[in-house]
Amino acid sequence: MLLTRVWLTDFRNYASAELEPAPGLTVIVGANGQGKSNLLEAVGWLAGLRSFRAAPTEALVRVGADQAIVRGEADRAGRALLIECEISRTGRNRTLVNRQPVRRTRDALDHLRAVSFAPDDLELVKGGPAERRRYVDDLLVAVHPRYETVRSDLDRILRQRAAVLKQSGGRSSPEIEATLDVWDTRLAATGEELAEGRAALLADLAPIVARAYLDLADAGAVDVTYAPAWRAEGLAGALAAARPDELRRGVSLVGPHRDDVGLDLDGLPTRTHASQGEQRSLALALRLAAARRLATTLDTPPLLLLDDVFSELDDARGEALLAHLPPGQTLVTTATAIPPGSRPERVFRVESGAVVPDLG
Amino acid sequence: MAVYTGPVQDLVDELGKLPGIGPKSAQRIAFHLLKLPRDDALRLAQVITEAKARVSWCERCFNVASEALCDICRDDRRDPSVICVVEEPRDVVAVEKTREYKGRYHVLGGAMNPLEGVGAEQLRVRELLARLADEAVTEVILCTNPNVEGETTALYLAKMLQDVPIKVTRIASGLPVGGDLEYADELTLGRAIEGRRTV
Ligand SMILES: [Zn+2]
Repeated sequence: MLLTRVWLTDFRNYASAELEPAPGLTVIVGANGQGKSNLLEAVGWLAGLRSFRAAPTEALVRVGADQAIVRGEADRAGRALLIECEISRTGRNRTLVNRQPVRRTRDALDHLRAVSFAPDDLELVKGGPAERRRYVDDLLVAVHPRYETVRSDLDRILRQRAAVLKQSGGRSSPEIEATLDVWDTRLAATGEELAEGRAALLADLAPIVARAYLDLADAGAVDVTYAPAWRAEGLAGALAAARPDELRRGVSLVGPHRDDVGLDLDGLPTRTHASQGEQRSLALALRLAAARRLATTLDTPPLLLLDDVFSELDDARGEALLAHLPPGQTLVTTATAIPPGSRPERVFRVESGAVVPDLG
Repeated sequence: MAVYTGPVQDLVDELGKLPGIGPKSAQRIAFHLLKLPRDDALRLAQVITEAKARVSWCERCFNVASEALCDICRDDRRDPSVICVVEEPRDVVAVEKTREYKGRYHVLGGAMNPLEGVGAEQLRVRELLARLADEAVTEVILCTNPNVEGETTALYLAKMLQDVPIKVTRIASGLPVGGDLEYADELTLGRAIEGRRTV
C-alpha cells in the first residue's frame, strides 16, 4: 500500500492543500502554528477516521465551512484506491472508497492503516495505567479484530456490574449475591480472554520495543511486562476474594480494567526512575514497535505519522530515529531543522495554510 | 428545543417518550399528525385505545393475549413439555416465524440490566419457576438475546435451574444463513470460527 496523494478542502486552517508523500520518508517543515500538524492529522483521518489528537469533529472543519473533505489516493498492488472522507460540522460523516459509501468504520480501516506519534504520547510512560491499557488494547484490536467485541463486552459488563455494586448500598443479600455471581462469571470469562490477548501480544512486542529503544538511545535494556496479581489465581478466584471489599466500598477493585503494563529500563520503573529524555525515547519506541508489529499482521506496513518528533529528541537520537525507521511510508513534521546526515525523499514547507515543495 | 403552545407541546412530549424517538423525530411526527385529515388521526387514536383495552398479558406465559391465555397457550397441538424463554413478546413472533418450534413460551419482560434498574426480581423469573413446578416440563430453551444482558440473563436462569431435573439448553449464535461468508461481519465470523464443531 502506497499513499500517493492527499488533498484537503476546508480542513482546519486549509482552504485547500495537496501533498504527494514519497514512498519512504517525507518531511513537513514549518514554524509552529502554520498547520503542519493539521496536515498529519488529515492523513491520520484517512487511515483511522478519527483525529489522533482526539479533537472533536467540529474543530476539524475550517471556520465558515460546513464540512471538511479529505481525499487520499493510494496504490495497492498496482490497483488505484480512492478514499474520500466528508467530515461534517454537525451532521454525519461519510466515507467513500472508490466512490462507494462505506457503512462501517472497520470496512474503511481495512484499506489504510496508520500508527501515529505525537508529543502527548509521553503520557504512555509518565501517565497513569489507563494510557498504557489503551495503547495495548488498541493494538490488540488492530492485530486481532475479534477483540473489539471482547473489549466492548467487557466494558458493558463492568458498567452493569458497577451498577449492582452501587445499588447494593454496601449491604449483601441473597439476591445481590446471586446477581453478582453471574456478573462475576461473565467478567471472569471476558476478562481472562482480554488478559490472554494482552499477555500474548506483549510477549511478542517486548523484544520489538527493546530493539526500537536501543536503536534510538544506544544503551539501556527495556522490559515490557504484563503480570497482574490476579492472573496467578485466576479472575474468578480474585473476584470472590474481593467481594466483601467491593460490596463495602461499592466499587470494582480487580480485573483487566485496573491492570498496568510494566515499562522498566535497566530493571527500574520508567514512570518514576527514568529521565525525561529516556521517557520520550521509550514513548517513541512504543509507537515504532506498534508499527512493526502491525506490519507483520497486515501484508503491508502501516503509515507512520510522527508529529513534531525532533523537538523531543537531541540531534543524535533524531538521526538515529531516521536511520532506523520501520519499512514503509513515514511522514514527519518538524519546526526545527532536519537532523544533519539524514536524507528525506521529499520535503514540504508549510506556511500560513499553503503547502509547497521545499527544493532546499 | 422550542416550546410550543399547550396541546402541541403535549403531543411532542408524549411522542418523545416512545422508544427510539428523539426530540427531533417527535416534532416531525407531531406535525405530521396535525396535518392528517381528522378521520385518519382519529382512527390512530382509536386503534391505540382499543388495543390498550383489549390486549393484555397471557396469565401463563406473559405473551400478548386478548383473553386470559394467549393463542399459543390455548392451542392444544403445542407441546407443553418444552418452554422457550424469551425477553419480549416480539421475540415470540420471531421464533414463531421459523415454524420449527412446537412448544410453549415464557416471556421474561426484558433482560437483567442493572444500569436501567432491571434486576432478576423485575423479570418474570419467579413465575417461570412456578410453572416448572406445576407443569410437566422436560426442557427449557434459553432464547434471550446474544448480547451482554441477554447472555447474563441466560446464565442467571441456568444457575437457578441447575438443581431442577430439567434439560436446559441455550440457543447457538453464529452466522446468518443464506448469505455469503464474504459479507459476514468479521466479529460474528470470528466467534463462529471459535465455536466451530467437528462434522
Ligand atoms: Zn401464553
